[in-house]
Amino acid sequence: MLAAAQDGDEAAFTRLWLDGNAALLRYLRVIAPEAAEDIAADTWVHVVRGLPRFRGDETAWRAWLFTTARRRTVDQARRRARRPEAAIGEVNESELPASDDTADVALEHLSTRAAIALLADLPPLQAEVILLRVVAGLGTDAVAKLVGRSPGAVRVAAHRGLRRLADDLAKAGVTL
Amino acid sequence: MTGGGVSDNDMPNFSWLAGRDASGIQDADLSAMLAGGTPPADASAPLQHVADVLAALRAAPAGDEAAGQGTALALFREQVGVSSQPIRSRRRRPTLLSSLLSAKAAAAVAVAVVGLGGVATAAFANALPSAAQQFAHDTIGAPSPHASNGAHAQSNANAGHSGTPVGPNASGSAAFGLCTAYTHAKHHGSAAQKAVAFRNLENAAGGAANVAAFCAAVAHPGSPATPGTGAASSHPSGPPSPHPSGPPSPHPSGPPSPHPTGP
Repeated sequence: MLAAAQDGDEAAFTRLWLDGNAALLRYLRVIAPEAAEDIAADTWVHVVRGLPRFRGDETAWRAWLFTTARRRTVDQARRRARRPEAAIGEVNESELPASDDTADVALEHLSTRAAIALLADLPPLQAEVILLRVVAGLGTDAVAKLVGRSPGAVRVAAHRGLRRLADDLAKAGVTL
Repeated sequence: MTGGGVSDNDMPNFSWLAGRDASGIQDADLSAMLAGGTPPADASAPLQHVADVLAALRAAPAGDEAAGQGTALALFREQVGVSSQPIRSRRRRPTLLSSLLSAKAAAAVAVAVVGLGGVATAAFANALPSAAQQFAHDTIGAPSPHASNGAHAQSNANAGHSGTPVGPNASGSAAFGLCTAYTHAKHHGSAAQKAVAFRNLENAAGGAANVAAFCAAVAHPGSPATPGTGAASSHPSGPPSPHPSGPPSPHPSGPPSPHPTGP
């Protein structure tokens, strides 16, 4: 799929983009809820530009996609810290309805949103490593590299996060 | 971090946890689920619920997650479109394209300017063959072929057919034509051409003193039906007008044009 896209196959690219974009948004809606769409769009600009020269398999490409998104998120957070008043005014208004208004989204999407909301309640590192493993489909080592931790720390954080998730679900009596 | 699961005090509230502690969740199961595996068939309810959450996170793209596909595809076409070509030529392509476009645009403007200049001068000198003169009359407001007020009226096959002097319609494209013809005649035309062009303009503007203001306020026509003025602006400094007759120009209303031959 990746090779075909690099050769200019639009159908292959569309497939890659759709899967990748959904994954990016799910990840970003947890780690950067106020700017998920912007960062995803930014990430694609960078990644599509680099696509012809990219060397590696699809897993490596996914790692690159999420590494790019993570860097943009960090940059965005820095910019926001510099001018917080703009961040609150501009972004929250447009983002809040999208994340809070679940009335008109499709049923399967609702449960994805519910899952994202559950992840967002976890400690940030736990949520992030779970998302990178599950949504980005990256292995422990790739995630470790991406977040700058040891593979052991990533494994522990992921497991703790999942156990905590089980706790949260039990306490809330949630039936999914 | 509680590490394990729910406390014993919470347990009675959840019948599905009865007899099992949440610590029954095995690391191996968690690892398998993180890697995309499904929980074992006899998985505890908490583990099953976690599996459900992970499945929801992995669900097929839906809803607004496909928004922006068009933008991404356009970007892809721009960057990767013909990726069998070497990167070097892909980079060069936009430059080549834009230079071609600007050359083409410049040529079109040059043709339009030169073409209109010559035609307009001839038209306002009333020196074109009848059909062409009528066309010029209709499009740029040159005198009608039936008019005989030009210095070169005798060269017109229909000269004298109607003895009534004709001044072009003083609004829109006609006004633009008058101004263009005058400007051209002033620089390149004969004394007679200058006289004709200026007289027409003077009539339209409502007096010699108003000519400068009149021409400054004239809208530039961009009628696709006008030869040489086609898509490119017929004047290098003016935006094309979508309609040949444009908005009426805000000049002092001149004398009504006698127009015996109709529109």
